[in-house]
This record gives sequence, C-alpha cells and structure tokens, in this order.
Amino acid sequence: MNSLLAVIIGVVTVYLAYTLYARRIDRNVIQSDPKRATPATLYMDGVDFMPTNRNILFGYHFKSIAAAGPIVGAIVAASLWGWLPSIIWLVLGVTFIGWASDYSAIVLSVRNEGNSLSAVAHRLVSPRTRRVLLLFIFFYLLLVTGAFVSIMAQVMDGQPRTHLGIVVLIAMGLLLGQMLYRWKVGLVGATVLTVGVTLVCILAGPWTEEFSKGFNAALNGMTGGAPIVTYFDPTLAGFKGAEAKIMPSLLFWALAISAFCYAGSVLPIWRMAQPVVYVGFWITALSMVLGLGGAALASFVKPEVAQFQIPAFRGWSPQLGPAGVMPLWPMLFVTIACGAISGWHALFGAVGTARQIENEADMLPVGGGSMLAEFLLGLLALLAVSVGAKGAPVGAFATGLGGFISVWGVPLQYAVSLAFAAFIVIVLVVTQLIFRVMRVTLTEWLGDVFPPCRNQHVASFLSVLLALLLVVTGTWVYLWQLFGGANQLMAALALLLVTVWLASAGKNWAFAGVPMIFMYVTTVASLLVTAYNLYFNVYQPNLAAGRTLPIIGSGLMVLISLLLVVAAAFIGIDGWRAFMRNLRRPAPAHKPAPARG
Amino acid sequence: MLTGRLARGWEAVKQFVYGLTGYEFARHAVEMRHEMETVFMVVTMGDLIGIPVLPPLYSLRLLPYVVPEIATWKRHLARRKEFWEKPDYDLHGV
Repeated sequence: MNSLLAVIIGVVTVYLAYTLYARRIDRNVIQSDPKRATPATLYMDGVDFMPTNRNILFGYHFKSIAAAGPIVGAIVAASLWGWLPSIIWLVLGVTFIGWASDYSAIVLSVRNEGNSLSAVAHRLVSPRTRRVLLLFIFFYLLLVTGAFVSIMAQVMDGQPRTHLGIVVLIAMGLLLGQMLYRWKVGLVGATVLTVGVTLVCILAGPWTEEFSKGFNAALNGMTGGAPIVTYFDPTLAGFKGAEAKIMPSLLFWALAISAFCYAGSVLPIWRMAQPVVYVGFWITALSMVLGLGGAALASFVKPEVAQFQIPAFRGWSPQLGPAGVMPLWPMLFVTIACGAISGWHALFGAVGTARQIENEADMLPVGGGSMLAEFLLGLLALLAVSVGAKGAPVGAFATGLGGFISVWGVPLQYAVSLAFAAFIVIVLVVTQLIFRVMRVTLTEWLGDVFPPCRNQHVASFLSVLLALLLVVTGTWVYLWQLFGGANQLMAALALLLVTVWLASAGKNWAFAGVPMIFMYVTTVASLLVTAYNLYFNVYQPNLAAGRTLPIIGSGLMVLISLLLVVAAAFIGIDGWRAFMRNLRRPAPAHKPAPARG
Repeated sequence: MLTGRLARGWEAVKQFVYGLTGYEFARHAVEMRHEMETVFMVVTMGDLIGIPVLPPLYSLRLLPYVVPEIATWKRHLARRKEFWEKPDYDLHGV
C-alpha cells in the first residue's frame, strides 16, 4: 500500500458517496425545494439569520467542523489496530453515516425554523431530553479538553523545537486582533505579516531547540529531577503499561496551555480567540494542503516517504495495559470520530450554518460536502501516521506529514518542525474555543441552581480545573475514547431527532434511523468498555500504589463514563417513545411551501 | 462557454476561500455594529418593545431614519430571554 493509492480511494469515495447516495436522499427523501423559504430568508436579522452564498458557507462550515478530531483519532486508531481497519471505517463511516448526520442536522434545523437541536429535542422528544443533552455536552467537552491539554503538554514538553512557534503564534494572534478591530488595517496585509512571522518562527524551531531544552531542564531542576506526580500509564512500554512521571516541565506546559485557554475563554472573542484561530488556520491549512499534495506526488517524486510502515492489521483486540481490553468493535468506531462521523458537526450545523442557508438546494453541498471534505483530512492523518512509524503516535504523524511536505523541496528537518507545529496549533486553537463553549454550557446548566457559575471567571476556572485533574491521570488514550464515545453518541442523538422528525413527517426514516441504531449501540458499548479499562487498568494500579491525584482523576473518569451511559439510556427511552408516537400518527397533509421573499 | 465555466469556477474558489478566512471577521464586525445599533434603538425606540425611554416626540422625529432597522432589530431582540442579555458570539443556542 502506498499513499497515492490511498488518496485515489479517498477521492473515489467522496465522488461515489455524494453522487450515488447523498444526492438520491436529498432528491427522493428530503425533497429539498429551492423555492421553499428558509429561516435565513424568513427571519433575516442581519446577524444570526443571514442568507449566504453556498460557496462562502461551504468554506465557513468546513472550517468550523475541521479541527483536531480527524487527526488525533486516525493517529490513535492506526497505532492500535493498524491502517486497514481504520481506512475501512473512515470510508464506510463517512459514506453511510457521516454525511447523513451532518446534512440531516442542517435539514432538521432549516425545516424547524432554524431551531437548535436541543430546542427541537424539547419539542419533538421530551423536555427532559434537553436537560440531559446539556449535561451530556458539558461532560463531552470536559473529556475533550482533558485529552487535548494532556496531548499538547506532552508534545510541548517532549518537542522543545515547537516552543518558539507556539509562543509567537499567540503573540501574532493578539496583534492581528488589534490590527483588524482597533487599527483598522486591511485583512490581507495583516494576514501576510502575522502568518509570515509565525511561519518563520515555526521553521526556526530547530535553531532554538537547545535553549528550550535548557529551559525544561531548569524547570525540572527545581525539584532536583524528582517528579511531582507518579502514575500508572497503560499506554507506555508498547501498550504493556509502565510507571509514568509528571515532571515540573510537563506541569508547566499543562498550566501554560490552561492559562492560555482561560484567557481565550474570558476575553472578548475578537481580542484573542478569533484571531489566534485565524493565524493557526493558515499554518494548519498550509501544512495540510502541502501534505495532501505531497502524499499524491510522493510515489513519483520521493517513493521512500510514500510506503506504509505500520502493519495493516494488528489484531481484533490488541493488548493495552495489563488488564485492558480494546476490541475492534466498538472501540475503533469511537476512536476515529470526526473523519467518519461527529456529533459536534451536527450541533454546530444546526445553529451556526442552518440559519445562513439561503436556498434548500444548498443544504447538501454545504452539510454533506463539508463532511466529505473532512474525511479527506482524516485520511491524510491516517496516511501520515502510516508512513511515519517512528516513535509515539503523534511523533509518527509529524514524521509522516513532514515526509509528505518534504516532497515540495522543504528540507526534512524543517518540514517535520512544521508538521509538529501544525498538530499543536490545530489542537491548541480548538481547545481554547472548546473551553469557551464549556463555560457557556456550564452557565446554562448550573447557573440557576449555583449562581456563581453565571460569572464567566468562575465558570472558566472550574472548567480548566476539572480538565487539569483529568490530565494528571496521564491516560489520554482513554480520555480520547471517552470523548469519542460521547461525541458519537451526540451524533446518534442528532440522527435520532432526524429519525423522529422524518417519522412525524411521514417520510422514509431509514437513512438516518439505521445508522442511528448502529451508532447508539456501538457508543454505549464503548463507554462501558472504557469504564472497565479505566477501573482495572488505571484506577486499581493507582489505588494499590496509594497515589491520591491519579486515583481521583481516574475515579472521576469512571464516574463520567457511567453517567454518560445513564444519560444515553434516558435519551434512548425518550427517543423510542417519541418515535413510536410519531410513527402511529397519520402523515400530515401536504401544504404548499411559502413563497420566498 | 469554457471561459464562462472557468470564470464561474474561479469565482466559486474565491468565495470558498473567503468563507474559510475573512467571512468570520465580517460576521463578527456586523455583530459588533449590530450591538451598537441595538443600544441606540433601545434608547430611542424602546417604547416599541415596552421600554419607555424617550418622550414619543423625539422618537417620532428619529423614526424616519431608523425605519429600515426596526424589523430586524425587533426580530433579533425577540429571541432573547432578556433584552439586555448578549449571546456569546457564534454560540447562539448551542
């Protein structure tokens, strides 16, 4: 297997899924009607509801959903099960489930006056579902922030070459916000300056490596080289498990990342979060475009970087730690989330994008098209880790992506630096935004019963603190899989709402209902497997060794996973009742669509 | 024929790149302006949503200038739980 063949498989998948399946559903089941008025045209307020050109909206929606998910998931899955099951799930997942989830969430909102999923759940299923959904969203955000902060801190601690680029990225983001919103500088000029400086500093990373190593060593010298926390990590020693240590330098980077995310959460969005995301976007986009092009050309130009280095298949249930089980079903299906299917896409699509759809004929290219494009991002991450093969999963990804970028003539050392930075940048910018959403969700969920949560500093501080507590367990693979379970369950819930709505409208609900059942059963099973792994693989060894913080952290993770299972059960029961209620009801008489204004 | 298709394709690519990059800033700038205008509207036309703020005489004198904004302003405020609450950018109802 080489990268060119994988790229061809990806492009053919996108073409066939879109033309043979997605268009048919759009035409025959949803019956999108270009003459029907959309919420954007009916309720246009110039801000939220705003009819927007489909090409612009495609770019906007793709950027909003394409984040670290497709990259991290593919890296972990390829390391655990091999590239073959990963690529099969990516292809089948996006073809039969992923695009349907994203597209139908937008359809659901457009046909329900631009309401969010929770509002539709409140009306179509039950009021309780909305409350459960909020709880669900909060914990799923907590899990992903824990996983991301942990991954980033480990990469920044282990890769001193990345420090300069990341620090400059944040500084340039702040400068860009000031230039655009205060000094009224044009976007093109501001972009060239800030992205250019950031890129130069990222590429200069290897020159500053010695200084950064010295900085880490000085931090570690503060405790005389002794760790701050020791824990049992089942992902070490080739997934056999070993003692791991949180050194002062690792804690410093975890705290630094948390402080950055805290600032991103409480400052006005134009001041920090938005411009940092923008600068980061260019760095990541540049790496991905060069990487994808390099993957296609490498077979002809530099064949040594195009050959897969990892096994195609590592087994049905690879060993992870002394007592862990990692069965391919259900764990692969939650480990690779965003490149195949994701709940976040549905959540965002229903409010961020659906209210800007100008014409019903745009729903498929924007919703389905963006998901299929994101699949290509997941495929690129899988290719990179498959050809990289050196070191830990993230290191393998950076080596592989660096190899693809080097096809364009960039020296390998600098290309790998760019790949490492691209990985951290995309995770970092997404994490600060997730903390922001988490703060808002916490306020919405607990603000009435615990008024201090209405204060943005209290809500942000609580969010950061809980995420840090999860970080000290050190088991980011489990955190990632718990997040994947919660995320996929969100997707299943979106599909459930679509199924209930289709049944209530007397339409064929199978295209959403069958994937929903598969995802629901799979994700609940994965949450139970992860709870088992966490208890026997992490909690028990730490309990036996009497380590307080890891015991609290892993105990909290076990509790969260069980809580998510209970929440899923409530949602499933309510959803089933609503489905049966709507199925028995006669289909509503067809009404003429209101004319577009 | 071919030239026309190429021109449309190039235009679509430009719009896609704008959607990826500048559109977010444009939306935020619109939102910031809208918030500013909302304050002005509440102060001058608050009685339209039940907030008596200025004597109707002055409201009536300003009315011709703000007529184009009234419909969207009322729609925007009508969706809020409280009129002074400002939803977080891009998290509207998530």
